[in-house]
Amino acid sequence: MIAEMLGEGASASLNAETVTEEQFMQYERLILGVPTWFDGELPNYWDEFVPALEELDLTGKKVAIYGLADQVGYPENFGDAVGLMARLLRSRGAVIVGETSTEGYTYESSRAVENGHFLGLILDQENQGRLTEGRIKKWLETLKTSM
Amino acid sequence: MKNTEIPEIYSIKKTPKETLAHWYRLMAVGRTIDEKAPNYLKQAIGWSYHGPYAGHDGIQLAIGQSFEKSKDHLFLYYRDMLSALSAGMTAEELILNGISKATDPGTGGRHMSNHFSKPEWNIHNVSSLTGNHTLHAVGVARAIKYYGEKAVSISSQGESSVSEGYVYEAINGATREKLPVIFVFQDNGYGISVPKKDQTANRKVANNFSGFKNLSIIHCNGKDVFDSMNAMAEARRVALEEGHPVIVQANCVRIHSHSNSDKHELYRNENERNYVQEYDPFAKFRRLLIRYNRFTEEEIREMDDAAALEIKQAHKAAMKAPDPDPATIHDFVVPEPHQPEKYPDGTHQESGEKKKLITALNETLKAEFRHNPDTFIWGQDMANKEKGGVFNVSKGLQKEFGKKRVFNAPIAEDFIVGTANGMSRYSEKIRIVIEGAEFADYFWPAMEQYVDSSHDYWRSNGKFTPNVTIRLASGGYIGGGLYHSQNIEGSLASIPGVRIVYPSFADDAAGLLRTAMRSRGMTMFMEPKALYQDPRAATVIPDDFEVPFGKARIRREGSDLTLITYGNTTHMSLDAAEQLAGEGFSVEVIDLRSLVPLDKETLIASVKKTNRVLVVHEDKVHGGFGGEVASILMEEAFEWLDAPVRRVGSTFTPVGFHRELEKAILPNTDKIYAAAKELLIY
Repeated sequence: MIAEMLGEGASASLNAETVTEEQFMQYERLILGVPTWFDGELPNYWDEFVPALEELDLTGKKVAIYGLADQVGYPENFGDAVGLMARLLRSRGAVIVGETSTEGYTYESSRAVENGHFLGLILDQENQGRLTEGRIKKWLETLKTSM
Repeated sequence: MKNTEIPEIYSIKKTPKETLAHWYRLMAVGRTIDEKAPNYLKQAIGWSYHGPYAGHDGIQLAIGQSFEKSKDHLFLYYRDMLSALSAGMTAEELILNGISKATDPGTGGRHMSNHFSKPEWNIHNVSSLTGNHTLHAVGVARAIKYYGEKAVSISSQGESSVSEGYVYEAINGATREKLPVIFVFQDNGYGISVPKKDQTANRKVANNFSGFKNLSIIHCNGKDVFDSMNAMAEARRVALEEGHPVIVQANCVRIHSHSNSDKHELYRNENERNYVQEYDPFAKFRRLLIRYNRFTEEEIREMDDAAALEIKQAHKAAMKAPDPDPATIHDFVVPEPHQPEKYPDGTHQESGEKKKLITALNETLKAEFRHNPDTFIWGQDMANKEKGGVFNVSKGLQKEFGKKRVFNAPIAEDFIVGTANGMSRYSEKIRIVIEGAEFADYFWPAMEQYVDSSHDYWRSNGKFTPNVTIRLASGGYIGGGLYHSQNIEGSLASIPGVRIVYPSFADDAAGLLRTAMRSRGMTMFMEPKALYQDPRAATVIPDDFEVPFGKARIRREGSDLTLITYGNTTHMSLDAAEQLAGEGFSVEVIDLRSLVPLDKETLIASVKKTNRVLVVHEDKVHGGFGGEVASILMEEAFEWLDAPVRRVGSTFTPVGFHRELEKAILPNTDKIYAAAKELLIY
């Protein structure tokens, strides 16, 4: 849906399950889909990319992150993966853009939260599926300026 | 994803290649056995219980790698196959356990399959009451701390069994005493079919303990080798350097059903079954090794082939191993006790000053604490200034022997017994005495540890026995009512593996306690609390008196009727016998002293002399120990009986609080006299 909405605004669509360091480094502005798995983990494909990411110099890159999460089933770790990825990329020099408000979500704790905002866009298809499209539209609008 | 809150020691890029190869071998061998285990059942060879570990690979590798054999202590649960292998056990040893061979290093085929242990390395044999070994882990950690050893005690369990109350007792005790225990919760989201939301409100059950002081909680990805290794390394560091317990909660997936008697298709949808497969930790480890150029595909294949060969050889060797011999079933029920040499039948001719029963116990405890510096005692109300024990039996012990050997326990009976079992595991030289509860009938919360401990010696094929004497103030006649007046020995006597003694005189109390404290194994030591201060129970006691187990004592000789009794009713029986003597009847009174083992010889010899038997005890007639005595005599001495064996004891009711109720319920001299008279004129 995000790729569709971006249309020609996105120059390429990469498959996170097979992305390489070289492909990742080709782009200055990236939008990453990082869903939260289990009790607050990255999915395997990102997790296995982490050792590579830890050694990349991401200075100058702007990265926006979105991810699926479940605030009812996993309220203790709501959208943790977004926060984990954002902090990792930032530690390598990237600038994280696309923060969103935590309003409208009910959860107990989230590593995605910093200074009262999510470090990306959290989508809860399980419990708030009807809000997804609007949230994406609104988020992409903000990215037009922040990216 | 690595846990950013703990130091990163291990990673795919930094870990030496030979270490990675070692880990890979363990994981490959482990997974192959895990996958082959069901075949043994299909071929009717064995392994009828198998709890597959696939999905727990990261944390189990780390548990084993964190264990230093023969120094640390390791308590695994039924899904811990890779933990056992990683801790040093061989593939052959795992299969020997799986197919229940006599050479299984932990149990010799006596205990369930998939319960891996090697006691000589301190990989302890645990029961199937999952999670109750947390108490043993705490107990052995108490010894580690007391003896100043730099070692840790590691307990492993599933997250669902954390719901058990004893786990809370264990963690409460470990934090209070600041003990080096690592509690690992392997969280796969299910207790058989029960999802964790039905276990506790918190998805991360470790966080239920966040209010406990002196405790570190580490969360890790149990599906990830490196995160798990780092978490366990940090846990070990904290336990050793900061000297307090740690919980490691490892998030895992359960790829297969709970066990081979479970079908997860009944409660997990296809999507879930598929994605847990995709999160297979072993497959992830293999991908990482290749992606980061630590091994080539060819090298991986070679390691897989080597693992397959290793298992083939292990299988062949295990299949040739002998099966357990049915003729050995009576081996290792109870260890051979200490044998009194000076007092072989537990009697004496000493003269001098009489001492009360309470004094006998107190002085014997002190004497044995002086005799063996590795003796410990704890319980509720054990020691606080001038008080020592709820009835002051242990008065003065702490003052003389210090707070490290004589100390209070929380109001947690199961903890009291379970940590005694655990502390025993540290060294064969240790002897422990516990006041199992304030009153005998408060002992029930400890029953799971009592039962568990009762079969430790048998279950481990003689490799471990808890050397513990459990003291309990027992019985009524004090107007105590429920939980303060009842007898429990009838219920306990049906459980093999524990000696049960119940003295009624001061000298026997002293002698039996000394023998119990010098013996290997478990002894339940029942104290008739109504007699603590009773002058009738006071006797002369030789300083070194010992009474062997299984030796009854004839307290009054007679020829017309035998009263077989123990505890409080011994004195009533003697009074009744005296009364009957006035009417011309010669009544023999035998004090059993020891219920398990039972002195059948003395009883049968008496029956041959008197031909009439009345069994008397304070416990209920219904289901009481007298039923066992009566049955034995009917079976083995029927030809010498001139009348049916009769019994006197409590009514089949609880013991009432009001004195008149208690009087109506408990036996007394009049009731014994009446029953005896009927038998004498039968």
